Amino acid sequence: MNSDDRGTDRQQRFGALCEALRPDLIRFAFWLARDRALAEDVVQEALLRAWKSFDALADEAKVKQWMLTIVRREHARTWERKRLETVELDALVQAEAPVLASDDDAALAEMREALFRLDDDYREPLVLQVMMGYTTNEIAGHMGLTQGAVLTRLFRARQKLRTAMLGDDGEGGP
Amino acid sequence: MNCLEFRRRVGAEPAVYDAALAEHRGECATCAAHQDELLAMDAMLVRAMQFPLHPARPVRATIASPSRRWLALAASLVAGILVAATLWVSYPAPTLASEVIGHVAHEPDAWKARDPLGADTVKAVLASSGIRLRDGAVDVTFARRCFFELHWVPHLVVQTANGPVTVLVLTHRQVGAPVRIEEHGFTGVVLPAPRGSIAVVGRDISGLDDIARQVFEAVEWDV
Repeated sequence: MNSDDRGTDRQQRFGALCEALRPDLIRFAFWLARDRALAEDVVQEALLRAWKSFDALADEAKVKQWMLTIVRREHARTWERKRLETVELDALVQAEAPVLASDDDAALAEMREALFRLDDDYREPLVLQVMMGYTTNEIAGHMGLTQGAVLTRLFRARQKLRTAMLGDDGEGGP
Repeated sequence: MNCLEFRRRVGAEPAVYDAALAEHRGECATCAAHQDELLAMDAMLVRAMQFPLHPARPVRATIASPSRRWLALAASLVAGILVAATLWVSYPAPTLASEVIGHVAHEPDAWKARDPLGADTVKAVLASSGIRLRDGAVDVTFARRCFFELHWVPHLVVQTANGPVTVLVLTHRQVGAPVRIEEHGFTGVVLPAPRGSIAVVGRDISGLDDIARQVFEAVEWDV
């Protein structure tokens, strides 16, 4: 195989493995950043970083975890680099209204807003579990937490959502 | 296991299943209802998180240096070529959602039946999967065992106030969390079940989550 063939093969693998994840990555980044435009920037930068270090991906079966980790780091870097101003939550909700809205399902829009208003500590593990299908062990590894801490955050996240949606937090909990 | 322990477990992982949870669930209707509510909330959460990505935002000038601009342009070109190449080289394996929709779409006549089947007919179809329906819980107008993902699975059509829904009982297929289906005009959800999962699919139908919950609660899993 010559160098051109190797380059084409690398591009094809990257497209199939990483670019294909872009929609999920943008959604993940949005729920991290609570900013649609910023989410797209973060994912674009993350894909560029992934392309540069693609040869370091040892196990293709773990590409999703690998990309989510890169997106998470890129999001953290963006916050650090841009020193983003603290914005009132209500203003953020207003700014992201097009993403949070649902034309035909008011309850869905309400759920999006409730999720949007959750603290970062609760929102991220919930997104990883519900949208990305992570186990609590995988979430712990991804976020650098103990599994017990993850279980507590997931419990409290649902408790808060339940309160927001139903005005009831269920009973008990760690 | 007491109610507090049960709620701690399912509050963190609503779809979790083990013998101790199942035992408590069988003994405590309030906790069972609480878990069902959490599962329904998770089903809605999946939809909430997967917001539509269109329309695309206007491109912002965030890439400042010429080299980074070149990289971005190159990446866009590569991405365009790769999308085409990827579609040709590696057509993706069908997802559970598309498998379910594919099966439902190939049996359109199943939704035409309107007369409820006898309990014995339904019981016979479900028996080899080790499940049954609670008496009078739902009206079944079609029941057959179908070959799906290399397994024989019960395929039912249940009549509801909002129209017929197809129910596939997939005891061979585990899902970690509810899977939302919205393809080709079909709406549905695959819910984690005590054994495998259960798919409920309708067409142009409202209130699907309530219907799915009703169907889920109509099934007895440990026969």
